[in-house]
Amino acid sequence: MTKTEEIIARLQDALAPSELEVVDDSESHRGHGGYQEGGESHYNVRIRSATFKGMSRVARHRAVHAALGPDLLGRIHALALDLDV
Amino acid sequence: MSDAATQIKETIQANDVVLYMKGTKEMPQCGFSSRVAGVLNYMGVEFADVNVLSDEVIRQGIKDFSDWPTIPQLYVKGEFVGGCDIITEMTLSGELDTLFDENQVTYDKDAADKIREANG
Repeated sequence: MTKTEEIIARLQDALAPSELEVVDDSESHRGHGGYQEGGESHYNVRIRSATFKGMSRVARHRAVHAALGPDLLGRIHALALDLDV
Repeated sequence: MSDAATQIKETIQANDVVLYMKGTKEMPQCGFSSRVAGVLNYMGVEFADVNVLSDEVIRQGIKDFSDWPTIPQLYVKGEFVGGCDIITEMTLSGELDTLFDENQVTYDKDAADKIREANG
């Protein structure tokens, strides 16, 4: 399972998203900090999920961090999140 | 409380607005830190910058302190506000203006409006 597939699986499980988009944006960070050959270092993630209802921005981000878990988060250099209901 | 946590607490209590970032506000070392520092600079907000790249203990300590895994991190009046995505969203929605208003933080409202016009 690639890191991208792992991210998708964990978010699907934890957040039951109505929309989920996980884009490996590593190539646009080539030469910058954290870039590694082969990508899977920088991600843009867009999630729409009813579970975010009533949650603050910080709480939504925390829910995503929790879904991914410290192990997977530790293997990602950058994670840009676009979260809404 | 760890030494790092004590130090962080002192910093965010001594300064109304603090940005923990990679690099400095004059010379950011990461695109995400650069974006937040850029917004604050453009809005004329007086803020303290802490370069986590120059202190490994603070670099890990700030993540533990806020239970937030990424840098940059913005604090206003001792409270964690968010990272790059959240500050960007709050800038464009006007929530950042409101937060500054509520906390008596001085900023240039016209500059904030200009950011929104350019990104609207």
